[in-house]
Amino acid sequence: MELQILANGIVLGALYACIAVGFSLVWGVLNVINMLHGSFIILGGYITFFAWARLGIHPIAMIPVAGMILYGLGYMVQRGVINKVVTQPVLITLTLTFGLDMILYNFMNVVFTATPQRVTLELGSFDIGGIFMPWDRIVSMLLAFALTGLLYWVMRTSRVGRAIVAVRMDRDAAALMGIRVDQIYAITFGIGAFMAGAAGAVFAVVFPVTTNLSGLYIGKAFVVCVIGGLGSVPGALVGGIVLGVIESFAGHWLGPQHAITVGFVLMLILLITRPSGLLGKKGYE
Amino acid sequence: MEILNSKEMIYSPTENREEKLSITGRVTFLSMVAGSVLALTNFISNSALAEDVIKIGTPLALTGGLADEGKKQQIAYDMWLRRVNAAGGINVGGKKMKVKLVAYDYQTDGKRAGQLTEKLITSDKVHFLAAPFGSGHTKITAGVAERHGVPIVASTASSLSVYNQGFKNIFGTLAPNTGMTEAMMKFFKKKLPGTQKVAVLGRDDVFPRAMAKSLSKGARNRGFDVVYDELYAVGTLDHASSLSKIKSEKPDWIYLTGYTQDLILLRKQMSDLGVTAPIVTMVTGPAYKEFVDGLGKLADGVTSSSWWHHATDYKSDDVFGSTKAFYTQFVKEQGHDPDYVHASAAAALIVLQKGIEKAGTLNRAKVRDAIASLDIVTFFGPIKFSPNGMNQVRDLPIIQVQKGKVSVLHPADIKNAEMQKM
Repeated sequence: MELQILANGIVLGALYACIAVGFSLVWGVLNVINMLHGSFIILGGYITFFAWARLGIHPIAMIPVAGMILYGLGYMVQRGVINKVVTQPVLITLTLTFGLDMILYNFMNVVFTATPQRVTLELGSFDIGGIFMPWDRIVSMLLAFALTGLLYWVMRTSRVGRAIVAVRMDRDAAALMGIRVDQIYAITFGIGAFMAGAAGAVFAVVFPVTTNLSGLYIGKAFVVCVIGGLGSVPGALVGGIVLGVIESFAGHWLGPQHAITVGFVLMLILLITRPSGLLGKKGYE
Repeated sequence: MEILNSKEMIYSPTENREEKLSITGRVTFLSMVAGSVLALTNFISNSALAEDVIKIGTPLALTGGLADEGKKQQIAYDMWLRRVNAAGGINVGGKKMKVKLVAYDYQTDGKRAGQLTEKLITSDKVHFLAAPFGSGHTKITAGVAERHGVPIVASTASSLSVYNQGFKNIFGTLAPNTGMTEAMMKFFKKKLPGTQKVAVLGRDDVFPRAMAKSLSKGARNRGFDVVYDELYAVGTLDHASSLSKIKSEKPDWIYLTGYTQDLILLRKQMSDLGVTAPIVTMVTGPAYKEFVDGLGKLADGVTSSSWWHHATDYKSDDVFGSTKAFYTQFVKEQGHDPDYVHASAAAALIVLQKGIEKAGTLNRAKVRDAIASLDIVTFFGPIKFSPNGMNQVRDLPIIQVQKGKVSVLHPADIKNAEMQKM
């Protein structure tokens, strides 16, 4: 029983990590709290749902496609709108993305309606010694690892990655070194949106696709980022899994109505005792 | 029916005109002048007309989380409105009066619903009100209506907590939700006498919580063994730990409540984790088309109860004439089957109409008394109110998804399929 609860927690945590990876990147690097992130995931979900329902494309195959479409959207939003205020205090950008989110959210409500839809494709689950592991959650776990690994690699080794890190460290110095800061911001935001789109594609199999969930996703992303720590790529993965396991056991021991509360209490404790999160670097909180 | 934003005037000709003209400042100024002139003419003509039109106000959730439900109410209200006005209007003491609906979108925001109700009463001067979707938001608007003494009909509030506040002006077409759970326990015990262990998991929200609590309490009283009885928080994205625990208890009956998106997720996780039982009930999942669509094969076998099903066949003395006539018109216009929300919304306005006709006046207190004493059969079924304003208990249909279609298992006179084990 306890092993099943642990397994549930780890796969749930992987879902949370999927939600938070892109959000954490944008927050950590651009210092922009991207309130659009939840709606980006839902949009990725709708793209996947319609590709499956109309064209019969498997959701797994849609992961890169949904990701790239969202990358384009994210790039344009940053380039055309957010870059105008990106150097302003965080409250300004927060309000801006909040407003943009209201537009996207209500646009999706009008076009797709809030009626929950789902890719009715059962990937099934496998059973090791009585512990059930659903395949769709395993896929999202792999995706979370892959995205985190990819991001880590990009940030460490590629020119763009180094430029992103440089801009985060000192915007002015980076500009003097010849880095086109606006461009780097737009790429970073685009990568964040790519992660949201990719997560949305997997989630179309796991969760019902409905705009109602957008607020929940963004809420989870916040908690995961605070627990994991900002500015650290693996932080979102660790934060996600920690939150998943804690919620899973809290649901088991204290009853499901308290599971979410326990997650928030943990977040509060960390904010007081270790504001940079489990893996966060100092100065990013 | 027109849908208005809180900033706009009641009558629409000026609105569109204003929107189109407001491109440049100069044009905006002109449009303001034109707008005021039109508003004034409207005001004058309205004052002249006001005596001949019955205004019914309603806040609707046309955007936001409950948008789909709000739109269902809108469709049904509109069907009723067209029928009534085609027949010349409502007969008020021998004089036919046309009906006008004044609707606002409250964006699924409870507070806003309350403010807009206030506005409907004080500034739009509606005669009567119709409540928005769900027990929670109905409670808010009913409070405002009560303060102003305006009769309000509620089409989708079935929780007792809405009606036990001593309000005199609220009337709900749905039967109390305890009626649903009692009928279900009786029926399942008869069909599968071995049913003993029951697991209950409900969403911690007005209606789903009331249903879950009503079942677990009723089940204990009836001698069932309630092996799991928990609520999950609003905003839960994962039910694996609850379901793992339910699985370990090996129940005969799993009873889950929540809104469609919760139930889809629950059913899917049940299948992922290999959780099953001879009876799986989800309230009110199968009553909604989107539940069956969103689950495909996984929906098969799930039972539920509903307040209404189109398989019923009542002959009625209302604008529709019979359940069949309502159903036929609905399918012709919308291209799919109506659910209980549609039917109950139309029935709520029938209640208002019957009340006005019986009172023979638009005096709110007299109409209120007339509604309270109604005893009618509508296309929706019989309607007679308890002193608290709820439609009295009647035999509510128990339904099951079989091969992707919703079948009626109970009551016997409308049953069209035998119950199947999961």
